[in-house]
Amino acid sequence: MKIESIRLKNFKAFRNAEISELPKMCVFVGANGTGKTTLFNVFSFLKDSLTDNVHVALTKQGGGRGFQEVRSRGADGPIEIELKFREKGDSPLVTYSLSINEENGRPIVEREVLQYRRGSKGQPWKFLDFSRGKGRAVTNEPDKVTDGSALQREEHELKSPDILALKGLAQFEKFPASKALGDLLENWHVSDFHIQQARPERESGYAEHLSREGENLAHVTEYLYRRHPDIFKTIIEKLKQRVPGITGVDSKVTEEGRVLRRFQDGAFQDPFLARHVSDGTIKMFAYLVLLHDPKPHPLLCVEEPENQLYPRLLAELAEEFRDYARKGGQVFISTHSPDFLNACELEEVFWLQKADGYTIIKRASEDQQIKAYMEDGDKLGHLWRQGFFGGADPL
Amino acid sequence: MKEIVFLLEEPSARAMIEGIVPRIEAEPPPVRYIVFEGKQDLERQLIRKLRAYRNPDAVFIVMRDQDFADCRDVKENLKRKCADAGRPGAVVRVACRALESWYLADLAAVEAAFGTRGLAQRQNDRKFRTPDGLGNPDRELKRLVPEYQKIGGSKLIAPHLDLDNERSRSFYHLVKTIKDSLSTNNEYYLPVEIEL
Repeated sequence: MKIESIRLKNFKAFRNAEISELPKMCVFVGANGTGKTTLFNVFSFLKDSLTDNVHVALTKQGGGRGFQEVRSRGADGPIEIELKFREKGDSPLVTYSLSINEENGRPIVEREVLQYRRGSKGQPWKFLDFSRGKGRAVTNEPDKVTDGSALQREEHELKSPDILALKGLAQFEKFPASKALGDLLENWHVSDFHIQQARPERESGYAEHLSREGENLAHVTEYLYRRHPDIFKTIIEKLKQRVPGITGVDSKVTEEGRVLRRFQDGAFQDPFLARHVSDGTIKMFAYLVLLHDPKPHPLLCVEEPENQLYPRLLAELAEEFRDYARKGGQVFISTHSPDFLNACELEEVFWLQKADGYTIIKRASEDQQIKAYMEDGDKLGHLWRQGFFGGADPL
Repeated sequence: MKEIVFLLEEPSARAMIEGIVPRIEAEPPPVRYIVFEGKQDLERQLIRKLRAYRNPDAVFIVMRDQDFADCRDVKENLKRKCADAGRPGAVVRVACRALESWYLADLAAVEAAFGTRGLAQRQNDRKFRTPDGLGNPDRELKRLVPEYQKIGGSKLIAPHLDLDNERSRSFYHLVKTIKDSLSTNNEYYLPVEIEL
């Protein structure tokens, strides 16, 4: 599953924004308050809309005044979100578009369409087309149909006009596109790592994936240590190369049922407990755990991975994110670090800037001057610092 | 299309120039500031930045502090790099010795910026008469105005600088260069070299 483009209209700071031809790893820079976090929030919003309904999703994003708060200031008309994606590299480009409006003070799904084209010609086939709680969905298996007229559709009415029709269709194996989208929205992950959350020992428990703030790092460590010793070994090898002194890490469940992570320093006989290890060590360890997840997330969003890390390590971290993206999920990263950016490729980098109060997204590769310097062997972090990223700098 | 491109060693120089450009020309052509991370970075990256610059009509002004180097060496070295990059018309300006020398040459502006009374009167003190010769202008300025900091201070002082001030020759030449590059309408104009 790879997202090819995102179009937003009237979603918070994004009055009208579109990014297309997205690579597997996308890196976003921009001054504070330009909307990097809001961009990631699009996926939380869609997830909440899918698992609950758009009313709940709007309230989570905007509080009591949900719709009014989430819709761009000064805008009228619906909030629109459109994603284009491919389930696999060679599968057709699927478009999912959602338009949300408000009627008598209650949010409703104005229109929800899932469509794609078989082959490169002709009208796209609408597999799902709903408006205000009513609409039509395809009932036969789309992959077995070669002629659009053979598609059978059924009228449906949803329980309420604020729930997504995708919710139903995403459950069925026979609709790969909607299942892939449902899977993406349910299993995407944002990492906004907080050292203080990850440090303490925890009551023993079970977790396979690192949580948003990393508070279950102890459990995931225990899981990898026991169930995936080969992956755990790779993580420790990389940690040893990057953090001077560290010679090993292990995980131990105490008699009282607490999970201890012990970091071994070659110079001392007794290991250190995680709570006494430096912020940078914990953070590097957490990223290695996140990025060596045996089951990668379909979409991983990472906020400012550079915090607490030694600048020279960021180039390798960028390579690891790229590796994660190559092996499975897509990765979106926001950063303020020139060192991280120096390790990024021209096609991967976007910047956000405000124009008349709203956010626009620019692509580094579309700037001819940046492109010319990169062809001449320059680096993106330098160009960013030297002010070539247009309006990305605060004034 | 004509464009003025400043290549500067640090953000404080940008803050200073941004403060004076609109006072020289209310509607200047597009101005770009390429700000490096110190003079070594400027020296190292200058050739590449000039060589691959895409606008053929851009007018370049390179500026760095003299600090403790020989003024002529600094200038000749930078000129040679401009020529190597295929931009022999780029103008090189050296601040003798640093931005703060220019501020010390205009204590009335410093007084207006920081509200420190009585500073302007001290312009006739022996050491502030020709501040280009002062060895450590940064320290001298901080002695007069302890709250001065490079970027914030430059932003405050620049709008008050007397653009006709000749007490610092290097400042005078910079202003003249900016005036010349802004005022001409000839897109292929190459500013005339002025001896420091």
